[in-house]
Amino acid sequence: MRDTHERVSEGAIGKPLLRSEDARLLTGRGCFIADLRLPRMAHAVFVRSPHAHARVRSIDAARAAVLPGVLAVITAADLPEVGLAHINEVPGLVKTPQPVLAGDRVRYAGQAVAILVAEDRYIGEDALELIDVDYEELPVVVSVDAAKPEGHVPLLPEVPDDVVYRDHRVFGDPAGAFESAARVFTSTYRASRFVAAPLENRGCIASFEPASRTLSFWSSTQAPHLLRRRLALCTGLPEHHVRVMMPDVGGGFGQKIPVSPEEVAVAFASAHLGLPVKWIEDRRENLMAAPHAKEQIIHLELAVDDDGTFRGLRARILGDTGAYSYNSASALIEPFMAAKLLPGVYRLDDYEYEVQAVLSNKSPTAPYRGVGWTAAQVARELLIDEVARGLGADAVELRLQNMIRSEELPRTSAPGLLYDSGSYQESLRLAAQMAGYEEFRAEQERARAEGRYLGIGFSPYVEPAGWGTQGMNQIGLHSFPSNDSARVSMDASGKVTVFVGTVALGQGHDTVMAQIAADALGVPFEDVTVVFADTSSVPISLAGTRASRSTVVGGGAVGLAAEDLRGKLLRIAGLMLEVDHQGLEIAGGRVRARGAVSISLSVREVAEAAFFNTSTREAEPEPNLTCTRLHDPDATCSNGCIAAIVEVDAETGAVKVRRLIGVEDCGTMINPMLVEGQLIGGLAQGLGGALLERVAYDEHGQIMTTTLMEYLLPTATEMPNVEIQHLSSPSPNTWRGIKGMAESGMVGGPAAIASAVADALAPFGARVGSLPLSAEAVVHMIAPRPS
Amino acid sequence: MSEPQVTVRMSVNGRAVTRTVPARLTLADFIREELELTGTHLGCEHGVCGACTVLVDGRSMRSCILYAGQMEGAEITTIEGLSPSDGSLSPIQQALHELHGLQCGFCTPGFVVTVHELLGDSPNPTEAEVREALSGNICRCTGYQGIVAAVLKVGRGACQATES
Repeated sequence: MRDTHERVSEGAIGKPLLRSEDARLLTGRGCFIADLRLPRMAHAVFVRSPHAHARVRSIDAARAAVLPGVLAVITAADLPEVGLAHINEVPGLVKTPQPVLAGDRVRYAGQAVAILVAEDRYIGEDALELIDVDYEELPVVVSVDAAKPEGHVPLLPEVPDDVVYRDHRVFGDPAGAFESAARVFTSTYRASRFVAAPLENRGCIASFEPASRTLSFWSSTQAPHLLRRRLALCTGLPEHHVRVMMPDVGGGFGQKIPVSPEEVAVAFASAHLGLPVKWIEDRRENLMAAPHAKEQIIHLELAVDDDGTFRGLRARILGDTGAYSYNSASALIEPFMAAKLLPGVYRLDDYEYEVQAVLSNKSPTAPYRGVGWTAAQVARELLIDEVARGLGADAVELRLQNMIRSEELPRTSAPGLLYDSGSYQESLRLAAQMAGYEEFRAEQERARAEGRYLGIGFSPYVEPAGWGTQGMNQIGLHSFPSNDSARVSMDASGKVTVFVGTVALGQGHDTVMAQIAADALGVPFEDVTVVFADTSSVPISLAGTRASRSTVVGGGAVGLAAEDLRGKLLRIAGLMLEVDHQGLEIAGGRVRARGAVSISLSVREVAEAAFFNTSTREAEPEPNLTCTRLHDPDATCSNGCIAAIVEVDAETGAVKVRRLIGVEDCGTMINPMLVEGQLIGGLAQGLGGALLERVAYDEHGQIMTTTLMEYLLPTATEMPNVEIQHLSSPSPNTWRGIKGMAESGMVGGPAAIASAVADALAPFGARVGSLPLSAEAVVHMIAPRPS
Repeated sequence: MSEPQVTVRMSVNGRAVTRTVPARLTLADFIREELELTGTHLGCEHGVCGACTVLVDGRSMRSCILYAGQMEGAEITTIEGLSPSDGSLSPIQQALHELHGLQCGFCTPGFVVTVHELLGDSPNPTEAEVREALSGNICRCTGYQGIVAAVLKVGRGACQATES
């Protein structure tokens, strides 16, 4: 572990600067998609299927169409056949195209069968009740490991067993390892279905201008350039006639990466009517019809020697992808990603996995913070706890014994992920120290004697963070060149504007990107403004905001472009000062000779000369003070360790999280305050997933969690303060050693809490086999119902 | 349409407002669409998330589950009414800014309104009281840590807040 934090902290990088974006958001002056209003704008609502699986015999919109204020009802029959499949290719994956509107078949409750446009939303919702859809119900697949229902009709005829992906990979010699190991421990973990539930639901406005055949599109999206491309492909408009713009986005967490069928339907509706059309999703729609996440079943076998050495790992993973595999390789975002990261921070080179992704009559899945890594982490860490209990070993020591040491890095994991640098053992040791591990075990003993059940859990994680193309390839998502470009411009007054293609959803990009540019240029932070996604003016971000990549890939591009711009300024200043520009530097907004501070110019003077004094072209033939760079860094992984201390009430089953501890290592930090904010926020979602959240379907495929009274999000009374410490292992592969980290709380958090609950309940012989650990679930774990 | 209409008079952020509106128009839609005060946000439209919180006669209420027509004679305060017009920040807003009490900012106006009521009732709340008072507002981004710290800072417990 190398700590370079001091070296880079002289400029804006590394400082906990307060956010530039806060003031307008605090005062109600933010502008979210629902706040935008265009002249003559109409409002869209969707007719959604009440059935999980059915043939659509007919749609009769006649009564709705004549309701005053209704402008149009559009069904699949009115639309060209267009696909929403993403460019990602994974060999062996059957992509099942989701239509924009269901045609003759609905495959999940909530799927849109028609879009209705009205003068306002109240009229639109009235009219929904006047549309008669004749459905013929079909048998429903709600569980991917249960027998198929009687009379099973495959979701798609070309996939008779509903399996869209299966793969079996062997790394090293797991057979030999299992044969020669002393013991084998097994487990089954059923990861529940979650939904990202950003506080702002999805939404968009399409404005098609028929004379010029241009489409202006505002959306609460995470990936504006992907959206532009998809809208162009679907509508047949040339890409330069489609402009996607971003208002403020009220959270996304992955759910807003995919292009929504609804977005494409709204674009068609606008083109059909020649009017701007707005769609604002409501919470019920978001919970039932926006993409879900994380549901899968993970069977593990861990071969272990008597001394605790992990010898080999076998995994069988069954992913429940929902009704379509249509977007961002979404059928694979869970089981496949889980398989790739199952070895985690441990020396597990003899590894074998079988993965299946299976369609079901539920909402399709999409990335949600941590993707399949969340489930993999919970499954693995719970099993390691079982091993510790089975061997009578200490849970921390057993982990340390089997962990990759920092001096072994860089290292490639069995499934091919490059771990570039890190502090795996150090993170766990520090977390144990912060938790007061030794003292805790004594306290735990005393509490048990009093009938109180305390538990502690440790979840050391590695997060593939900030993928460029190499990282994408290593995880198995080929043909997705995941790079970003950024542009840095200086005006004649020496002030700086940064243009980036990534989208800010709360992470603080306005601040982070400005810190990077200020630092790389040597100008004050206050002199930098950041312009975000309007696809007509910002350089392309191929992947958008996802995968903890914005600061690494997009921020790196900003850094490189700012350095190029610095080079232009130095060459011009060298001419003006009549010195060799290689002896010049920029700091605090002044260009000066190294070691001779009396020779200096302000950046403003240099900028002014660049624009208005043609003689500067002798030094810099293109003195436009604008530089654009592409960044596509090699793979990098951040790491850390989450620890949780819980108290379980054995009478009521209530779990209280008493302490949450986060040790994180994301290499060079741009802004420690924002790093901590991301970690804490991810941990809150992790706490929700561990204790509260679950999308529930009944046996008919009806979704039971359609309000926030059923899908429970953590509040201030459940979430404790998080104690945080940082380590720093800068990446050798990225600009200034930056690593992404925003998913880490959701990668490591649920496992830590689950492990702590299992530890608390160890005296009862209880095993954690699924989350969330609701009070009811805990009571059943303590006293299983006789079967 | 012959939709029933109601004429209501109320005060919104100190300004007298008289409007004839559909009887079924929610207070939230009235505030956002009729008055164009878009700082009041809609996160669930069923009274759980708290993003639409406004003050009605000084008490925090969910504007998504009230009708505009019910507001005859009421004094309504929205986030815009709690924000200095010169662009500066109120003490609550300033503390949220300094302690990273917001990320995407969508829930933030609702929190500011709720905290305004809390500190009016109880200028120096304990952490447990703060968490209880905030438990009707959902934030999906921050994990509440910065929000709780900010409220404690504005109350007398500024020292405790910086430690957490």
